[in-house]
This record gives sequence, C-alpha cells and structure tokens, in this order.
Amino acid sequence: MGNLETITQKIRDKAKNLLSSGQAEVVIGYRQGTIPLVAAPFFARKAEDCDKLVWSSFARLNLANYLPSRKGKVALVAKGCDARSAVGQVTENQFPRENLYILGVPCSGLVDPALVAAKEPRPIREAKETDDAITISGQDFSLDIKKEEVLRRNCRTCSHRTPTLSDELTGPEVPSLQPDDFSDIKDLLAKTPAERLVYFKDLIKDCLRCYACRNACPLCYCPICFVDETRPQWLGKSNDPMDTLTFHLLRGLHCAGRCTACGACETACPVNIKVREFNRVLDRSVQENWSYEPGLAWEQKPPLTVYQPNDPAEFIK
Amino acid sequence: MIVNNPYLPYPVRIADIMIDSPDKSLRTFKFEFLEPEDEKRFNYLPGQFAELSVPGQGEIPIGIASSPTEKGYLLFTVNRTGQVSSYLHNMRIGDVMGVRGPLGHPYPYPDLKGKNIVIIASGFAVTTLRATVVYLLHPDNRPDYGRITFVYGARSPGHLLFREDWQAWQKRDDIDVFVAIYKMVPGWTGKVGFVPAVLQEICPPAANTAAIICGPPIAIKTTQPVLFEAGYKPENIIMSLENRMKCGLGICGRCNVGPEYVCKDGPVFTLAQLNELPPEY
Amino acid sequence: MPEYLVKENALADFFQVLAKGHRLLAPQGQGDNCQLAVVSGPVSLNYANTHLSPKTVFFPQTEKILAFHKLADKPHYNVYQDLGDHAEPTVIFGIRPCDARGLSVSNKVFQNDRFTDPYWKGKYDQTVKIGLACLDPSPQCFCAAMGGSPFGELGLDVLAYPKAKGLGLKTLTKVGEELIKAAKAEPTDLANELKDLEKKAIAAQGPLDDYQTINKRQIMELYKADHWPNTAEPCLGCGVCTFFCPTCHCFDIQDEANEIGGLRMRNWDTCMSPLFTLHGSGHNPRPSKTERVRQRFMHKLKYIPIKQDGIRGCTGCGRCVVMCPANIDIRSVAALMAQASA
Repeated sequence: MGNLETITQKIRDKAKNLLSSGQAEVVIGYRQGTIPLVAAPFFARKAEDCDKLVWSSFARLNLANYLPSRKGKVALVAKGCDARSAVGQVTENQFPRENLYILGVPCSGLVDPALVAAKEPRPIREAKETDDAITISGQDFSLDIKKEEVLRRNCRTCSHRTPTLSDELTGPEVPSLQPDDFSDIKDLLAKTPAERLVYFKDLIKDCLRCYACRNACPLCYCPICFVDETRPQWLGKSNDPMDTLTFHLLRGLHCAGRCTACGACETACPVNIKVREFNRVLDRSVQENWSYEPGLAWEQKPPLTVYQPNDPAEFIK
Repeated sequence: MIVNNPYLPYPVRIADIMIDSPDKSLRTFKFEFLEPEDEKRFNYLPGQFAELSVPGQGEIPIGIASSPTEKGYLLFTVNRTGQVSSYLHNMRIGDVMGVRGPLGHPYPYPDLKGKNIVIIASGFAVTTLRATVVYLLHPDNRPDYGRITFVYGARSPGHLLFREDWQAWQKRDDIDVFVAIYKMVPGWTGKVGFVPAVLQEICPPAANTAAIICGPPIAIKTTQPVLFEAGYKPENIIMSLENRMKCGLGICGRCNVGPEYVCKDGPVFTLAQLNELPPEY
Repeated sequence: MPEYLVKENALADFFQVLAKGHRLLAPQGQGDNCQLAVVSGPVSLNYANTHLSPKTVFFPQTEKILAFHKLADKPHYNVYQDLGDHAEPTVIFGIRPCDARGLSVSNKVFQNDRFTDPYWKGKYDQTVKIGLACLDPSPQCFCAAMGGSPFGELGLDVLAYPKAKGLGLKTLTKVGEELIKAAKAEPTDLANELKDLEKKAIAAQGPLDDYQTINKRQIMELYKADHWPNTAEPCLGCGVCTFFCPTCHCFDIQDEANEIGGLRMRNWDTCMSPLFTLHGSGHNPRPSKTERVRQRFMHKLKYIPIKQDGIRGCTGCGRCVVMCPANIDIRSVAALMAQASA
C-alpha cells in the first residue's frame, strides 16, 4: 500500500474513532471530487461518512477556513500549511483550542491543475495517482506525469510540509525542503515602487472581484470585509482597476505575517491570478523584520497585531 | 437615447418635509414633478411604490403615501436606516432629486369592489394604507365598496402619522376608525393596546370582507390569528411585503420570494399566495 | 432550404462578409484564456468553450447607465441623464448551444411580462447569434440532462458545425438567413448529417439523469428538504458560480460620484453574498449560506422553469462544476433535489 492509501486509511479509522468517542462532532476532511484532479471539502458526522474521506495531492483548499464561528468540537484534516492556519486561528481567538483536534497530514506537495493542463491541453476525463506520479487520461490518450513536475508554486517553497503542531500525525514525517529564500520573487523585489505598481496592476487585470480568494482564505474571517462595508463605503463596486487594486493591496496587508502560504486563494481564483504575489512580498518583510513565521506556536501573536517599543520601523519610511 | 427607460428617474423638487416622529427617524417628503408631463406619466394606485433616487447616493424603494386623487404632488414617508435614507433626511425643501416608478402592483381594487374592507396598519407601515383610505373615500370610488374599517396603532401619539387625515376620517360616517397607542399616556382618549388586541375587540365579520395588513413582520404575524379566528380565509387576507430591492423591475434578482419578485409581482400578495412560497421576506 | 455549406477555402471570405458593417466577435485563445473578442485573425473552430459565458457581451460586469452632475448653477442639476444602451451592430460566431440557451433564458428575465431592460435589449436586438455545435462535448458537459443538446438551437439565429472540409450551417431565423445568404454560403441538404451528429454528441455525454422528478415536486417540498444544510456546508460564499453562469443575471445599482457629479452604474452581483438581501433594518431573509445556496439551486432548477414554461435556468455548460472552489456540483445537487423528501 502506498503512502496515500495508508494516510487515507488512517484518516478514516481515526475519524470514526473521534466521532464515536465524542472527541469530535464533525471531521472536516476531503472527499474525492466529482471532476478529475480535485479533492473537495467533506464534513463527516457519522461513521458511514468516514469511508468517503480521502487524502490526495489534489486537496488544495485549506479546511481551517471552516473553523471560525463554528460551534462544537471539530477534527480537522490538515496539511502543514493548514495546521499552521488552524493554530493561527486559535492564537487570534477565532477558534477554541479545546474544541480542535488537528489530524495532521505530512504532505509532499499538491498538484497544480494549470501545470497539468500545460502538459496536456486535451480534456481530462480521469486522473489517478500514486505517491510519486499521476496518470491522466482522456478520450484517446493516457499520460503519466511525475508529481514533482506539476507541484504548486507554494508547495515548491514550503518549509513546513509536516504539520509542526498537531494532535496526531497520519503518516511518517516527510523530509523538509530547503528553507524558503524567496528567490521566486527576486525579480519583483528588485523593481522600483513605480515598476511594482505596473506589475501588480497587470497581475490583477482579469480580476472579477468574485472574492473567491478572500473567501477561501482562513485569515479572512472578518464578519464584514472592508470591501463590503457601506457606511462608509470604502470602495466602489464596479470593476474599476483602482478599486480592484485597493482590494488586493489591503487584503495583502491585512494578511501580512499571518499567511501560511497554503495557496487556497490561488486554487480558488477562477481567472488564475497569482494572488500570493502580494503575500509573498509581505511575508518576506515580516520574516526579515521580526524573524517571525505564523502558526508555529500556540502562544505567539502575529507581530503586526502587537506593539513592542523596539519594533523595527525602517520598512515604513 | 433610450425611449421609456425604466431606470431613468423623473426629476422632482422637494416641496415640503414633515418631521413625523419625536425621535426624528421618520420624515414625510412631498415631491412636485419638475415637468408637468411627468406627473401624467406617473400613473399609479395606492399600494404601489417608487424608487427615490438621490444623486450620488443611490435609490431606496418606498411605498407611495399619497393617493392619485390628490393632484400635483407625491408623498413618501422615509425611515432613516441606511445610507440613502440618512442622506435624504438631510436634504432641504427646494432640492432636486429623482423618483422612479410607479413600481409593483397596487392593492387589488377591482377584486375588492362590492366588498367590505378592513385596513390594519402598525407603525409607519401605515403609508400606503393612508393612501388607500384617501383613495377609497374619494367620491368617485366610495360607492364601489362596502363598509370600510381602519385600524391603526403606533408606539405613542407622537409616532402616529397623518394625524390630520385620520382625525378627519373619525368625523365621517362612511368609515370606522380605531386608532391606538401601545401604552397609555396622559391626555390620550383613543384606544390603548397592540393592534391585534384592538382588532380582536372590533373585528368586522368575515363575510364578504377582505383585510389588508401592513406593518413590521411581528405585527403581521400576530394579527393573522385574530383574523383566522374571526373566519377570514387566507385568500381574503392581503399583505404588502418588503425586501431589499434595486431595479424594481423584476430583473436584478434580490427581492424574490420563491419564483415571485416582490418588486414586480408584488409587493401585494394574499396570504393564500404566500402560504405556497418560501418565507424569505 | 435552410442549410448551407461553406467550403474550407471560402471560410476566410465568409468571415469577412460577416464582419462587414458589424463588429464580429468569436472565441479567441485556448483553455482559461478563451474569450469572445473582436476577430483580428483567422476564426478558430477548435475550442471547448469560452471561459466566461457570452452574457458578458449583453450584460457586462460593469455598465454605466445614467449620469448626473451636482453643480446647482448648471442646467439639469441633480437630474439623471440617459447614457444610451451602448449597443452596436454585432455578429457573434461560435456561441455554444448551452450558452445560447442561457441567453434565451436571460432574455426572458431582461424582457419580462412587465418591463424591458433597454441596456440588454439594445445589445440583444443588434446581435446576430451564430452558434457552433459541439461534436465532442467536454467531460463537464451535461446540456442534454438539462433539456438542451450539443446541437441545440434555442437562442440562436444560425447553428454552425465544423465539417471535415468547411463549415455546415443551419439558419434558424430571418436575420440569420439574410446574413448567411449575404455571405454567399452554398445551399445544401444537411438534415440527416445534423441528426446523426447530434445523436453521437448526446451519446458522448454518457448516460445522464434528467432529474425530471424535480419538475413534479412542489416548491415547498423541495425547499424544506433536509439535505440543504449539508449541501451548503462546503460553500465558501464567493461569487464564482454566479459570475460564470450563463443565466445568472443579478446586479447591483450603485452611484459613484465626486464633488461635481457622477454616474449610476450597474455591476454584477451575487446571491451568494449575505449583503445581497440584507434589509436596512438588519433583518436578512437569507441569513446563512444554507438559504443562499438553496436559493441558487432552487432558482435554476425550480423557479425559472415555473416562469419559463419548463425551461431550466441551468443549461449544463459545466462552468460552475469546474470553477467552484469547493466542488459543489450542480449535478449532485439536482440528484438530491430529484430524490428530496421533506
């Protein structure tokens, strides 16, 4: 049995156990999607639901997103990034630790369907996977692809693939990658502010303001987002480029130092905007100034939510 | 240029503003059309509403409080709740703005001919019912209808709108008027109690009678059992719904109750109709 | 004879004639980049479908509808002025039959029993709609389950389909007939071929449930069914399904102003947002995502059929199936509705 099947079986067994013992009222995990290359959120409440739970490298949404304002005891199937989001929500008082059971999944990275489509543009009717490869097939073709060739960008720079904090791991730890050096945004950081503005404007030119990025993000739990406020109304509701840019910039700033690079925003975006470019720049800044990474300890607070007299201030000039 | 653009408001001037409640949350606006032709085009009956259009702020749907038998102006009572209504409350006599309508269906006057009508109003939802009474009492219309009963309640005497109107109706013998406040205050000589209690006391027999109810959801909910007890059938209980609206034309999609749009297919529905629909209002 | 043929070597000329006196729009680009755009090079017959539906041509995401100015000393102070319907004579080539059906559904909303939306109507009336039938439906396609067909004609003026050496055409309206005649297509008999190809294309969608029992159930039976909280639970509340849906037509009207004046705009809106129905008083008739998700599926599969003689508000284009970040699949929801018990 491959690693994927072992983890799936472990999740199912543990989920049944947690439900029957009353340690959880719901297990939030993934089921197989109704279309290829997708694993979808699934809420198991009864023993028979649990056999629908799966682990796969298509599990791109971050299920910690479903925690804030939820009542009752929850067991959460969480990759490294997702577990850190859940920890972050606990530290930000969005979910009580005592109601949370993190079923941590050591993750070797998830598949980006856009990269798969780049290799095979024909319609894919089925996708199967082993630990290292996926097999896609369509009307009259079948193709094996190594997973490492089609991993999401954030999975290629992930420095916490095995959940750092969890209540139980569902499989053996996976080896860590090199520490993230932000080399992927080297060119962006080298730009002047004026050039960056041009870059970001172009980045979001297709944005529909559907807010899928925001709604998929476990950090975006505000009861009313600033873009939806009407009194005062901060932003227009049209697709005016300046309003759209303001949305992305402000959302980026609100997430600064809190983002765990789960990539759910980019997964959710229907027009393939690299939403994380905003976060990447800010995450680097927070790491540089405060040596801080979110979701690694139950007690720590995001640096931008607390004030210290010796806070660095150079970056703000 | 678009001919008959249903999104284009008629320009109107604020001719008068009446402060209606002690907390100043209610103001009644009297509008006059800038173009006399527009008044003819604005052909309406009580129960319909219009979008009040404030340049730079947006629109709010408000029931028309005047009757077409009152010529030369339109009346709207506006509760200060959101952005547009707050701005409107600060506008002055003489200011120009827009009115778009009439929208929705009026109360079903042709169906009501020959029937007795009991009109039940709670709070500031009295507006379109005030218009209805004015319309029914007009000499051209009064002979077409049977006995008319008007029941109206509000929190305090200061919260009772259109005082001059109902005081005048009280003096007439072709309408029975019962006006109540919820809690006794010194000097009040009318009825005291919530509308359902007052209605229970004076409810006209159900035979050949239709009831029209307007009020906040809780008042509508508590009034219905009184009518049922008196023998009223759901098809003879007429109500006016409110939902968030934008276009008023049955297109923009937000005011639906099941397949019906409150703006285009309502706002007037019978209880019999609503019983078949999701309670999403 | 309403059927015509354009041979491969005559295609370039054919499209040139279509563009004469019209703006010619056709799908350009591949995959997620495929969009209707003004034709500048050869017209592609090889695409699955446009990323966004063609409703964008008739109902753009943002449209300026009225203008006003706020200077009291100017004429028409605070009086809204019409900005016209922004329509121009247009030919769209390559609308998929599912999307044409979607346009037809929306057309009955924008031109309903009481009111006509002039911005939609202006553009709709000035556009000749040429469909391109689907010989090889995509994996997410289920138009036949929703009462349509890969060769469906509803909402089109002309239905085209790729042939080995050219383009087959069937004209469906007078406007379509005139255009195709002007483009000098050769009259021919394609009736049998059309029938065969349609049969094949429907079969390619596999065995499909048509969810007919939904039609027989009363509104309140479907509404009260107990699956809705579970169905809605994964929903993120974003607007993806509604923005990509060929029949979703909801909009918001907003004034945008500065010190001297402003515009009244209409923008796409989405019933997935709690603000969509929020009353000024704070009351919300659809307070949680259970009500909002139910509304969307009831609207597509029950309310629209009631108002439009059984035609469904879902055309089986499959965009929401692919695009929903939480994989809430309308086919699964329709199946639940079809077996719903209160």
